[in-house]
Amino acid sequence: MIHAVVADDEALARAKLRQLLAEEHGVDVVGEAANAEETFELVRTTKPQVVFLDIHMPGMDGLDIAAELSLGKDAPPPHIIFTTAHDQYALRAFEVHAVDYLLKPFSRERLSSAIERARKQINTRQASGQHSGSSLGRYASRIVFKSKGRIVFLPLSDIRWISAEENYVRIRTATETHLLRETMARLQEKLDPEVFLRIHRSSIVNLQFVKEVRTEADGEYSVVLLNGEKVSMSRSYRARITDLLTNG
Amino acid sequence: MSKTPNSTRPQPWFMHPAAFLSGWVLLGFMFAVQDWMSMRMWSYHVNLRLLTEAWGMQYFIWGVLCWLGWVWMGHHIQRAKLTRLLLWLVPISVACCLVEELIWVACFPHLPLNRPAMPYWPRFWFHLDAELVDNLVIFWCTFALFRGIGYYQQLREKEEAAAELRTQLAHAQVRALRMQLNPHFLFNTMNSISSLIRIDPAAADVMLEQLSSLLRMTLQRGEVQLIPLSDEMQFTEMYLAMQDLRFAGRVRQEISVDPGLHDALVPAMLLQPLIENAYCHGLSRIQRDGVLVIAAHREDSMLQLRVSNSGVGLASNDGERKGVGLVNVQHRLRLHYGDNQTFSIQEVAGGMVTVTISLPLSFREPEVAALAGYGVA
Repeated sequence: MIHAVVADDEALARAKLRQLLAEEHGVDVVGEAANAEETFELVRTTKPQVVFLDIHMPGMDGLDIAAELSLGKDAPPPHIIFTTAHDQYALRAFEVHAVDYLLKPFSRERLSSAIERARKQINTRQASGQHSGSSLGRYASRIVFKSKGRIVFLPLSDIRWISAEENYVRIRTATETHLLRETMARLQEKLDPEVFLRIHRSSIVNLQFVKEVRTEADGEYSVVLLNGEKVSMSRSYRARITDLLTNG
Repeated sequence: MSKTPNSTRPQPWFMHPAAFLSGWVLLGFMFAVQDWMSMRMWSYHVNLRLLTEAWGMQYFIWGVLCWLGWVWMGHHIQRAKLTRLLLWLVPISVACCLVEELIWVACFPHLPLNRPAMPYWPRFWFHLDAELVDNLVIFWCTFALFRGIGYYQQLREKEEAAAELRTQLAHAQVRALRMQLNPHFLFNTMNSISSLIRIDPAAADVMLEQLSSLLRMTLQRGEVQLIPLSDEMQFTEMYLAMQDLRFAGRVRQEISVDPGLHDALVPAMLLQPLIENAYCHGLSRIQRDGVLVIAAHREDSMLQLRVSNSGVGLASNDGERKGVGLVNVQHRLRLHYGDNQTFSIQEVAGGMVTVTISLPLSFREPEVAALAGYGVA
């Protein structure tokens, strides 16, 4: 069971969250706060795993509250999910290691995916028995960008494969694709080579989602993903991926 | 009359006193050299220095007089009616010539050369007799110059005002058209949400989120008229997702964009009315297996955008074939690209209708800042 605190100065916003969270499995709202002081007090007494935090609040803004909470005076610090109507604080929220950034108004699906993310992070933290993953070293584990009027905090492990489109890359997850102005080379630098493999000048696949490597009728090779999607592969990359798949 | 002319406009650079006076003195020196050379040809020997001083001084005095004339009366010379101007400039011209000569004669008591010394007034009449016509020519040439500057400046002002007006008008029109597009679509969506609230609150919630995303994108764009195709397609995809919710899987949507065109510039919100039209007059009239194709390709130096939809063809839509949305799109294309664009709507086969737009290909400046941030959780 995840214990959650809802912090928002607007009663209607708190009511909506409380109602939506009541329908979520395994989430229990242990308290509501309408300002910074109440939030600190609630977190101290109830020790929640997740705090839903509005950014504009009387007394102190949500980002500062999050920073204060992350110091972990009452360890362990809760995971933060921001809920706000403003999209300009996304980068700062990302920097204070927020789990997600929900733009109001948000739908139930959006909230569910945020909770799912929080749950994953809680589990990894319990497994590793420590705070956020400095163990991951030089590779990024998350990426933040704006897509389709939303802020996306995307765990890289959600990416199935990536294709290049000139000056852009298209990032494909289970449910969506995002077009991002970024180069393959720059992106590849951030990706863990143990997980993400370049199989073509213009495609990178996540090995977690690879089912098999197949030889096509015309002698070309392609990588088949778990969902049946096929990504074509250059000859030169074949040996490497077969290697990795048999060893892994 | 004592105010400076052209107080609102910048003065031409050569009317700066230093430039103006040096111009005049230089002119004097040129006459001096010419005079000296022609005398040499006739084997007269004249002191070049004296010659230079005399000519230089004459034109310097003229320069000062003309500059004062510009400062005191320049505005009037440029703007007054020519007939009335001549009436009082004729006496002034004679007066100017006399004043110039009075000063000059006082400066050079030894001229004319090779003559017994003369008192001031006989010398004055002697010189005036020789130079009155020259002086009048100088005066009226300067007058023509000042008047000419005035005409030129007025012409430039008119041209600038006209150009300004044209761009203002175009901006206002484009703004008005965009305002027409947005609320139209906004209210339709709100109506959908309103009906969903009763029958399917969860779907209403999703649609409200999608609408918020669309509004956020539109607001962030602000007054920018031309946006990269990738932004337009993002907007289009969001809009399509909303339409998909409304039509509950009755329509298969296909999008194909040439990867080299993500940065190509297109007028903002160009595709939405076309798609809305496709749903309104085509896709909404068939029960299932609808197809909507949106494609962006390159044709030489043009960008070609195509929206095709299955439905009932053009014939059965005769009366309302071109909704206000399509007319607006055509209007905007004309405002942005003049005649260097095409818009066509045609029925292909079996009720498929295709709208094709081609517009000149141009690309946005690449942005320096990366749009994505990376981090470890």
